[in-house]
Amino acid sequence: MHSMEGEMLKGHLDMIVLAALSAGPAHGYAVIQEIRRRSGQAFDLPEGTVYPALHRLEQAGWLTSRWVTAESGRRRRVYALTRHGERALTERRAVWQQFSDAIGSLLAGTRPRRRPA
Amino acid sequence: MISDYLEALAAALSFDRPLSQRVRQEVEDHLRQAVDADPAGGGLEAQQRAIANFGEPHAIAVQFAVVSLAQQTKRVGAAIILLIAGVFVAMKARVAWYAIMRCAISDDIKIVSGIIGSIDRYSFWVSVIIGIVGWVYVSGYRIVAGSGAAYRKQLRRFFLLCAAATGSLVISVVSDGVLTTLRLPGAGLSAEFLVPIFSMAIEIACAAILVLQIRGITQRATATAALLKT
Repeated sequence: MHSMEGEMLKGHLDMIVLAALSAGPAHGYAVIQEIRRRSGQAFDLPEGTVYPALHRLEQAGWLTSRWVTAESGRRRRVYALTRHGERALTERRAVWQQFSDAIGSLLAGTRPRRRPA
Repeated sequence: MISDYLEALAAALSFDRPLSQRVRQEVEDHLRQAVDADPAGGGLEAQQRAIANFGEPHAIAVQFAVVSLAQQTKRVGAAIILLIAGVFVAMKARVAWYAIMRCAISDDIKIVSGIIGSIDRYSFWVSVIIGIVGWVYVSGYRIVAGSGAAYRKQLRRFFLLCAAATGSLVISVVSDGVLTTLRLPGAGLSAEFLVPIFSMAIEIACAAILVLQIRGITQRATATAALLKT
């Protein structure tokens, strides 16, 4: 699979990070590994861009974070989704699904199916 | 090599010291983990790769600058409300003190103090309304990745609201100062006037802190804009 364009990913970075954390609390490095693993290595982001996103999402109240001490003895910041974050992810997932269906139908040359309200 | 990189990153983030320290620790853990996980081992090449994958310190600092500015802006929004509340409490305490001391205004300054009192009231409530609007506005928006232009627009609106609220509050405090000065000479300087003087000092301090906060956030926004351009 081709690596996705950086600009294309940037617009969806918040959703990608929230999705990576939906599996459970994780620190920055683990979040990046999870993004790579779950995208089949397609999302190869510059690693440094994930940290401002984590801070921004924490500021928005979608994540919480705390320091823990790793086995190596190093201090590590672990992030977890808040209820607001879970709700935001669910909303974004639904919007993305609709968008994806519409684009898929458009590209296939058919009209998008209407979803019941 | 990692230490040099961390130094450069911390220097690039020097605009926000607590953030700089936190990011430095986070990034150090990240880079050490990346080096440990590198198949080539923990040598110089692995360190170079980890740093290259992480990105330029300046580019990372730019992204953090926007996040940090947003946080500081929200703090200023809350500070406006608190400082206006401080002025209100000081003002009410002084009025209550005048009532307790039965300190009436002499007839020859009644008209002047009535006019100044009206200016004081209106400018104070204008500052309250604009301050609340500014606080609600700044609390409501959320920074998203790549929203630079939209964010700059929101910041400009917020600064205008801040300037208007601060201006109105300063007019109100100056009016209070004039009213207090008009009352003081009649009774002479006595212990009973310590409360009005003290309450005026609180009002002036609140207004001064607000002006300094606005000045600080404006300087910070200018520095962030300069960082975004480089």
